[in-house]
Amino acid sequence: MPRAATTPTFAGQVLEHIDALHAFAYRLTRSSTEAEDLAQETFTRAIAAAAQFKTDSNLRSWLFRILRNAHIDALRRARRSPLDEHNELMDASSDGNASELLRGDLEIDRLRHVVAADIEAALFELSHDARSVVLLDLEGFSEAEIAEVMGCALGTVKSRLARARASLRLKLARYAK
Amino acid sequence: MTNLTCDQAREELRAARRGELSAERTSALEQHLAGCAECRAERALDAALARLPERAAPAQLRERLLASLEAPATLTVARESEAAVPVASAPHKVPPTKKTSRSKYAWASMSAALAIALVIGAGALQNSRNSELLLNEAVNDHLRVLYAQRAIEIESGGIHQVKPWFEGRLDFAPQLDFDGDDEFALTGGAVGYFVDRKAAVFIYKYRLHVMTLFVFRAEGLPWPQLASHRIGTLETTQASSRGFNSVLFRHGDLGYALVSDASAPTVDRLAAKLVRP
Repeated sequence: MPRAATTPTFAGQVLEHIDALHAFAYRLTRSSTEAEDLAQETFTRAIAAAAQFKTDSNLRSWLFRILRNAHIDALRRARRSPLDEHNELMDASSDGNASELLRGDLEIDRLRHVVAADIEAALFELSHDARSVVLLDLEGFSEAEIAEVMGCALGTVKSRLARARASLRLKLARYAK
Repeated sequence: MTNLTCDQAREELRAARRGELSAERTSALEQHLAGCAECRAERALDAALARLPERAAPAQLRERLLASLEAPATLTVARESEAAVPVASAPHKVPPTKKTSRSKYAWASMSAALAIALVIGAGALQNSRNSELLLNEAVNDHLRVLYAQRAIEIESGGIHQVKPWFEGRLDFAPQLDFDGDDEFALTGGAVGYFVDRKAAVFIYKYRLHVMTLFVFRAEGLPWPQLASHRIGTLETTQASSRGFNSVLFRHGDLGYALVSDASAPTVDRLAAKLVRP
């Protein structure tokens, strides 16, 4: 007789999101080992906290929140701060060529030609927090959901997202031929 | 139809990313984009991001996760015991057994036997890994205290001043019964972190040595099952690394980590004074 494990349905539901969770983890860490560890850790924590999950709330954002917290824990253990704001500051004081690169259609043309590997690389140059909001937005989360996952205010999400995307555009323009 | 502002267009682009746009809204957006290179560039960024390579979970990861549902102990801390007893964190009751479990997943029953073997071996290994993790973290946090510009947030006028200071700054009451004495002076306290959670930090001084005590909620940390270093009635885990001696123990709901570059016997001596059993 099959053993009723941790509510097989709940675990099954969690597993439906494992690809998205793994992708997020990979783009955060750029390491397949770390991505698998994070995905696994998220799964384990989610199953352990199954009783606390309210069935009418958003499972996906709950899972992403768990993953983000697991990521922060991993960063703290490695003594790296997730709050490397200085990365974003560096972009703000970028060289004068920036305005050239970002002039409308010229930029669009460059963006069309930048390759997938470079897009991933540019993303990875952002700080952890900036990268997270861009990826979460890409995932289809609303700003309110992103705020929940990040554990920050809605206003912070808006400004972080705007700055991160601007920073990304600048980086991608530099990558593209 | 009224033209969208750039702010509105950006919102619509976000909605488009989520597949929410109706034909009418799309048309309004296109109209704005036709006349706005900046917003066209934003859309081009979206198109570029859509080209990010797929990073789906590898097959073995899925299998491992599914397998863990049958034998949950493989993914979490194993109890140190001879039988394959799954961890209490699994909410279901699982009987200890060495038989492979029957399940609808044929591959899972094959791996269950392997999983059980892993549990027994992993138990001892996990135990020392957990000690290492927590004690290593304790040393890191101690270093942060040493090198922080203003480690002491409240100067000590005695424990009766320091303990109430934490109220409102922590979601638990740090239990500490030692006010300091001639040998070990309590110089102050601060709010810090231990691994992933807030901790009450008490800073003692022994001669020229700083001794940092972290008091924190114990739950959720990978506590080593074997606390083999006895100090009086306390069962602790002890380690020396990177020139620091540390002692780690649980008392009630709380965890205590004491770190210093003072000698191990000195650290033990202070540890013994900290809590009344």
